[in-house]
Amino acid sequence: MIHLRGISKRFEGKRTVTALERLDLDIARGEMVSIVGPSGSGKSTLLNLIGGLDRATEGEIELDGATLSRLSDDELTRVRRDKLGFIFQFFNLLPTLTCVENVALPLHLRGWPRAKIEARTKELLNLVQLGHRLDHQPDELSGGERQRVAIARALSVYPPILLADEPTGNLDTATGVEILKLIHDVHERLGATVLIVTHDANVAESCERTLRIRDGRIVEDIRRESARSSTEEPTRA
Amino acid sequence: MNRRAVITGLALLAVPCLAQDPRQIMEEVQRRQRSDSQHYEGTLEVIGGGNRIATKRWMYDRLGSFGASKAILRFVAPPEVKGVGLLIVNHADKASDQWMWRPNIGREQRIAFQDRSTRFFGTDFSFEDLEERDVAQYDFKLLSDEGAAWKLESTPRKSSQYTHSYLWVKKDNYTVTRLELFTKKGLMRTIDYRDFELNKGVWTARTTEINDVTRNSRTILKFDKLEYNSPMKDADFTIDALRRGV
Amino acid sequence: MMLWSLISWPYARKHLLRWMLTMAGIVLGVGVFVGMHTANRSVLSAFQETIDRIAGSTQLQVTAGEPGFDEDILEKVQNVPEVRAAAPVIEATVATGSGNLLILGVDMLGDRSLRNYDLEDTDASIDDPLVFLAQADSLLVTKTFAEKSGLRVNSRVPMRTMQGDLTFTVRGIMKPGGLASAFGGDLAIMDIYAAQKFLGRGRKFDRIDVALADGVSLDEGIAKLRAAVGSGYEIAPPSSRGEQFEQTSRIYSLASNITSVFALFIGMFIIYNTFAIAVTQRRSEIGILRALGATRSQIRALFLGESAVAGLIGSTVGVLFGIVLARAMAGYIGGMLTEVYGVAQRAGDVALDPLLIGGALAMGIATSVVAAVIPSRAAAAVDPVKALQKGRDQAVSERENRLRQWTATLCAVASAVTLAFNRTPLVFYAGFVLSVVAAVLLTPALTLWLARLLRPLLQWARPVEGTLAADSLIQGPKRTSGTVAALMLSLALVISLSGLARSSYEAISDWTRIALNPDLFVTTAQSVSARTFVFPASLGDGLRKIQGVGEVQSVRSVRVNVKGSPVMLLALDIASMEQHAKLPSVQGDPHEMYRLTAKGEGLMASENYMRLHGAKFGEVLDIPAPSGRLHLPIVGVVRDFSDQQGTLIISRAAYVRTWNDDSVNVFRIYVAPGAQEAAVRQRIIDTFGKTQRLFVLTNGDVRRFIRRLTDQWFGLTYVQIAVAVLIAVLGVVNALTVSITDRRRELGVLQAVGALRQQVRHTVWMEAIAIGVIGLVLGLSLGVVTLYYAVGMARRDFMGTEIGYSYPFDTALVLVPVILFAAFLAAIAPGEAAVKGSLVEALEYE
Repeated sequence: MIHLRGISKRFEGKRTVTALERLDLDIARGEMVSIVGPSGSGKSTLLNLIGGLDRATEGEIELDGATLSRLSDDELTRVRRDKLGFIFQFFNLLPTLTCVENVALPLHLRGWPRAKIEARTKELLNLVQLGHRLDHQPDELSGGERQRVAIARALSVYPPILLADEPTGNLDTATGVEILKLIHDVHERLGATVLIVTHDANVAESCERTLRIRDGRIVEDIRRESARSSTEEPTRA
Repeated sequence: MNRRAVITGLALLAVPCLAQDPRQIMEEVQRRQRSDSQHYEGTLEVIGGGNRIATKRWMYDRLGSFGASKAILRFVAPPEVKGVGLLIVNHADKASDQWMWRPNIGREQRIAFQDRSTRFFGTDFSFEDLEERDVAQYDFKLLSDEGAAWKLESTPRKSSQYTHSYLWVKKDNYTVTRLELFTKKGLMRTIDYRDFELNKGVWTARTTEINDVTRNSRTILKFDKLEYNSPMKDADFTIDALRRGV
Repeated sequence: MMLWSLISWPYARKHLLRWMLTMAGIVLGVGVFVGMHTANRSVLSAFQETIDRIAGSTQLQVTAGEPGFDEDILEKVQNVPEVRAAAPVIEATVATGSGNLLILGVDMLGDRSLRNYDLEDTDASIDDPLVFLAQADSLLVTKTFAEKSGLRVNSRVPMRTMQGDLTFTVRGIMKPGGLASAFGGDLAIMDIYAAQKFLGRGRKFDRIDVALADGVSLDEGIAKLRAAVGSGYEIAPPSSRGEQFEQTSRIYSLASNITSVFALFIGMFIIYNTFAIAVTQRRSEIGILRALGATRSQIRALFLGESAVAGLIGSTVGVLFGIVLARAMAGYIGGMLTEVYGVAQRAGDVALDPLLIGGALAMGIATSVVAAVIPSRAAAAVDPVKALQKGRDQAVSERENRLRQWTATLCAVASAVTLAFNRTPLVFYAGFVLSVVAAVLLTPALTLWLARLLRPLLQWARPVEGTLAADSLIQGPKRTSGTVAALMLSLALVISLSGLARSSYEAISDWTRIALNPDLFVTTAQSVSARTFVFPASLGDGLRKIQGVGEVQSVRSVRVNVKGSPVMLLALDIASMEQHAKLPSVQGDPHEMYRLTAKGEGLMASENYMRLHGAKFGEVLDIPAPSGRLHLPIVGVVRDFSDQQGTLIISRAAYVRTWNDDSVNVFRIYVAPGAQEAAVRQRIIDTFGKTQRLFVLTNGDVRRFIRRLTDQWFGLTYVQIAVAVLIAVLGVVNALTVSITDRRRELGVLQAVGALRQQVRHTVWMEAIAIGVIGLVLGLSLGVVTLYYAVGMARRDFMGTEIGYSYPFDTALVLVPVILFAAFLAAIAPGEAAVKGSLVEALEYE
């Protein structure tokens, strides 16, 4: 599903900073992978590269059959909007739009017909248990609720890959647990490939695979059989 | 002082006199100069800075004399100035009236009193120097006796650019031979009379040289065809006559 | 200072483009101010210099308005014992192949006591005063002009005179300096009696230059001269001619001041806008500074300091721009001056006045600082704790909103109240200011309301981009309303100016139809208004004899000084005027006024004369004339646009009697029924063309001429319109640039969730167009009000004529696409900025 070959990322400035150093990685379809590491280790950079928000200095990234380095900016955008969903630490909801509008945004951008957008948006907000807050604006919601809206937005086209950058980083523990549960639920129900960058050990350990990154290299690649230790409660349908 | 001297020259017979009274000397000068009319053709040479010479000719007619005279002066050469005329009407008790005729624009123009001190058309004369004034308009002082001539000082009583002047009068024939004219700024002009000739009893200088000291320029006026007391009419000395041309 | 170099400079450097745009308003405002005033002063000083140089040692000048006076006055003046020298002068500007030539007609005999004529040394002694006088075709030219035109002594110069086409001969070349440098050296000396003849002046002089005898004071000289010549003459030092000009150029100064003030006012909003955004963006920075111990007043000083520096830079650029502008304007004002006074001048280099420049800089800086007061107060009020937390700026408080709306309503009501009492200028202008203030205060609320209204429309056009664009406006009322206010004011200005221009055009073309209805005009120059040459009255008799000529009206127009202002005196056959070209009456019995004026028992004044000079119907005007003073009551007020300063119409008979002047500027000819206009025209040219300087213009020629003159008159208006549109565009660019910076993260998110670059661009473009639409709606509406005031202002202070209120719908219609297109253009660069740059950085922004 995701193949990285010899990926390097250097930031040119007064002195060149190497964020990733000849990194190889393969992630299979349906895997749920957490990426951990100290600040500045390159984990966010890795996620940005996979998400097509940034381009690698060297190496190839293949995403569901598409080689990113060969794509133009607009083609990259198309890959992003068809195959990827993003969840950010600070939610990045548009403050002026209601929940419905925020979630509908990517669908509008794809030019979906209105009726279809409406149906899908409702479906998604129900999925994240916000069916009762359709017309609220982000600043009327709690942090957890905002992240749910963000997740709904990320899922709007049911992308095969979901990328989350510290999804629980800005939430209290209880809410964080709830959001994590939601992500797991989505993963299971939709069979999406999920990559989570996190500092939270609980989050990391809940995934079946964890990559530990330090100084731009993968120093550890842990696979777990049963990875649901912290989220024992059954999820609701 | 007799301004007429400048143009006509002075020609006087030697007569015995009391001599020491300056006014009497000048009255004698004027008496000997008297004539009913005068005509001459004058040639003017203006020798300016760099010895450039410009030559002009004019015809001159005067009727009457001293304080009651009228004169018309008309340029005949060079061609560019031909026909320009000047009518001078002298008065016994004040400055003259002067009118200029300009054939090219067909009109006469009064020469204002304030302009009398300006140079007469590029010569070294001023308009005022063309006037004839009676001796009664001056005060005189005898300065010295220089043997053959007296040196006198004359002071105009009114309306002149000059503050005073010195003049030399020959004792033998009462002719004025030299004039030095002063303004507030000092010596302005000198006039020398030469080549005297006796014509109908009047001693006349055929050559007059006037020097503008301030400009270092001189004008030499020579008389031809001098005639005294030929018949002339009053009607030929009016503005209309000036306009008509001779 | 330390704070400034550490904090402000790096920020400014980072947002260089934005600061440049921010200063545009100041640059324009200061530029127009400096440009206009510098041009004015340059022309004035060139004028003054020409006067001085021509004056020589002249202490007093005796004049009697444009018609001049009989030459026998000269003797009276010369006979005054206190006068040392008096010399007559005729001054005229004549068009030649190499530009305008100032002809100075002097009496070479006496003039040398006032002026120096230093001639170049030439080989021939031809520079002979006698030759100069004896030959009427003599000219002295300056070395400057001789070199420019390739002239030498004895060169021939062709000139079209009242005696037909003649050639003149250069008799001497004047050395540069003194008199020879007057009018930029484009000067020629002619004998005054020759000038009388060739210019058709009869036996008249324009003026007499006087030098007083030693020890005579000016006042004593004036008193003695007045006693000698009578009260119909003006006796004043040469310098007083400049003072009159200053009065005339006041109108232009006032008009340009209004543009400057508007530009600065609009600039103020742009600056306010930028600072408000800067404070928002730098909240965390401010928070850190406060946390590190900076006091509130230090923060406030920091922002005010920044605004002062921005103002200084903006005004400096403005001053430079103004100097460039001044060069262009000087010619224009100079032309007007020559037209009004017939006095020539030539503005060489623009003269800079340190005081003016200092004032302009101060004005620019003050504008900038005032604009930054509210944002810097907001900056000082930032709570360090809240500022350090990530999050958005707090919205405008409800209380502030309500306060503003209340004030706005109050202003609007007050402004409406002034309408009832707008007799005095103070109340009138207060009403104007109040209405503008009300509009400005209401802008945020109206912007919000309109943006909400626009939202569904934009959404319908492009669901995502439209929504985002509309929401951006709704979300950032502070950010947008500054721009909208600027745009609104600019557009209102454009509407009032063009409405004014249009109404004036209408009024003028109405007048043209009535007043300029003869079939042919016989003039001395290509332009109807030139007054350098005049015809003898006898030409009229000649014209009447020409086959096909119906009626001939002799018109004499001269500028005279009435109550210290130069106004146009129009002398013509009143009965014929009533019959053929009866001007609409504004006040007074329409028949009676013609009857009284024809009998020489009164005069008719133009409406603008009445207003501009505060005259009253029935008032007896005291008009100086050489034969004494003419006292005539105003028996009628008519609408007439002959002159900007106002026109007085009297009967030709009264004029000829009083001024002893029967010359004519223009013969107006009505072709006899059945005669062919073109044939009559040709016959006139054939009969008189060879012996007479004469032009025969058709009605169409004259109308075109008037049209051109009117265009010139409104030239300044068009400059103002251009400035207003330019500021509007700059305002939109600024707002969008600010908006893009402000929303970088948002636009990043948009791209992250799948927006194509084109879609992001569309969002920016739509926002720009939405700003344009809102600005248009508000501006065109405010224009309704400002036009009302503009019309009032024109009536009151500029034109003095009652012009109708006519909303320029055509202009408004043109403005819609222009502004929308401008907004779109303004959006291109910000749109590209939005899609360029790193997405990662954008997402992490703030």
